[in-house]
Amino acid sequence: MNQKVLSRRGVAGVALAAITAIALAACGSGQPSTTPQGSAATGIEGASGELKGSGASFPNAFYQEIVAELQGKAKNLKVTYNSVGSSTGKKEFAQGLVDFAGSDSLVKDSDGIAKDSFYYLPTVAAPITVSYNLQGVDKLQLSAATVAKIFQRDIKTWNDPAIAADNPGVTLPATAITVAHRTDGSGTTANFTKYLTVAAKDTWKLGTGDTVEWSADTQGGAKNTGVAQIVTQVNGAIGYVDLSDATTLKLKFAAIKNKDGKFVLPTLEGTTAGLNGAKVNDDLSYDPLDASGADAYPITAPTFLLVKRKYDDPKKAELVKAFVKYMLTDGQALAKEVHFAPLPDSLKQKALAQLDKVS
Amino acid sequence: MTTATAPAKRSAATPDLSRAALPLRRRAIDLTARLLMVLAVLAAGVPLLLVIYHVLAKGVGIVDLDFLTADIPVRARVAGPGMGPAVVGTLIITGAAALLSIPLGVLGAVYLNEYGKQSLLARVIRTMADVMTGVPSVVMGLFILVVWVLAVGEQTGFAAALALACLMLPVIIRSSEEMLRLVPDELRQASAALGARRWRTTVSVVLPAAISGITSGAMLAIARAAGETAPIVVVAGTVTWTNWNLFEGNNTTLTAQIFKNAVEPFEAAHGRAWGAALTLMMIVLVFTILARFIAGRFAIKNR
Repeated sequence: MNQKVLSRRGVAGVALAAITAIALAACGSGQPSTTPQGSAATGIEGASGELKGSGASFPNAFYQEIVAELQGKAKNLKVTYNSVGSSTGKKEFAQGLVDFAGSDSLVKDSDGIAKDSFYYLPTVAAPITVSYNLQGVDKLQLSAATVAKIFQRDIKTWNDPAIAADNPGVTLPATAITVAHRTDGSGTTANFTKYLTVAAKDTWKLGTGDTVEWSADTQGGAKNTGVAQIVTQVNGAIGYVDLSDATTLKLKFAAIKNKDGKFVLPTLEGTTAGLNGAKVNDDLSYDPLDASGADAYPITAPTFLLVKRKYDDPKKAELVKAFVKYMLTDGQALAKEVHFAPLPDSLKQKALAQLDKVS
Repeated sequence: MTTATAPAKRSAATPDLSRAALPLRRRAIDLTARLLMVLAVLAAGVPLLLVIYHVLAKGVGIVDLDFLTADIPVRARVAGPGMGPAVVGTLIITGAAALLSIPLGVLGAVYLNEYGKQSLLARVIRTMADVMTGVPSVVMGLFILVVWVLAVGEQTGFAAALALACLMLPVIIRSSEEMLRLVPDELRQASAALGARRWRTTVSVVLPAAISGITSGAMLAIARAAGETAPIVVVAGTVTWTNWNLFEGNNTTLTAQIFKNAVEPFEAAHGRAWGAALTLMMIVLVFTILARFIAGRFAIKNR
């Protein structure tokens, strides 16, 4: 009995020691502190400290590309970008949990961010493709009105006269059309439907928003990849997918008729051309949807970083400036690798000027 | 079974209770019921086995020492290892949550079963614990976001540990109380008869008698906590490097990384998600075995 008690105490002692060790390890600071050290003003190589951002998932691939590139260049700079979605990102920015936020949509009053407390900084843009899967048809052209009719189920077969009118000389099969859309709230849905309300305002009846009331006989998928999966699997399917995912998953895209009456395929050049034709507001928010220009691809989604006008810690401001400056200058070359369109020079200069005002 | 082979030797005094002596109808019913039960067990086991098989098949080729220690690659499309930060995050966050919730939960259960019994306070606590068990984990994440993260101004591993502890606490309280209730009152009376005070009885007799059940409950709670994704994503942020500090800086866990990587369109990311799933399963398995071993040493044997 005595021995048993002893051995029990022994185990208890070992367990307690282990717990204490874990607790000590957890309390001990194994990381440099979050406050930036040293001079960050010398450019990105000398920058050190931590930066946290969160928000839109749409430009995530590009931002991660920048972060990965910086890991090699600025060893003491630690940046994280958490792709949690535009609305969550804006909320976390408002609550001061992150240093900058990524957003596909503009700030609304309900986001809780004071009007004069932040700057919009456009970073890249990317086209939203109208991807389809139709056996025997490798080239498809669609006008905005036809896209609207397809997605609100006014047109139900591929050999409909409206589609045939957009595609002279192409033999279209009588396959039924399957419409694929996003089930989750999405900036991609918002931009796609916003385009239809602008370019096909007499036809499109479903309105615009992060989610819209799709007809019951359409199919939903989660995220861009979910929509892409439906398009890949179903003959006769059509859906909207961002270029990065559509290219990775090898989908076929339709050429879309732009404002100048030309059918344009979703390419990065077409997107940059669309940005050139877009009207930029004074706060640098802009809307490249259905922009004019012969080469402009009309369904282009912009994306912004939100940064504070004034940071409490001046070193944090320097870090943010160095990071975003890198993204807007050297970093733009990385955009094409992950299928994003770099900003045209004029917009880039405006963004850099805006960034300079951060303090 | 042996009686079934020797029905001839039965005497009139001892009725034959073997299956062979039953009427055909009852034997048929017996057989059908047995078959159905075996089928039910198999049906319950098949999904479990399939999950284990799939995770093993997809994860084994990916998990190696490098995978368990290297940093998480920032570019999701790049192939290659790295879940080290998530392994560390899972260990320290779940560990801290267990440290917070297990002592509190077991003490709460001791109060409920040994002291509070059917008093008003005990009944209120019991009901509240039952209600808390049903709170969705994301709600707990939002709760911690409001009361801790926004107050402190930073997403940390400790916030995630708090959220997990809140999720674990009611499970531990209720399961531990059930286990304490199973301890026969004779043991308590015997201890009291030897002159032991109530606290002495609780510490030396009741708890050791119930320890293996309490451990099972705690392990279930830990396994549930280690498998939570939603509160982690809400309150811990994300990192791609190892952060040993619970109280400063963002952190990440295996579940959060499974979620992040699984929704990427790239094969490399899917591989990392499977690897992380396998790693998580192994961690939970190792800790379950450890806990069983320790509890075995504490338990009163030969009851």
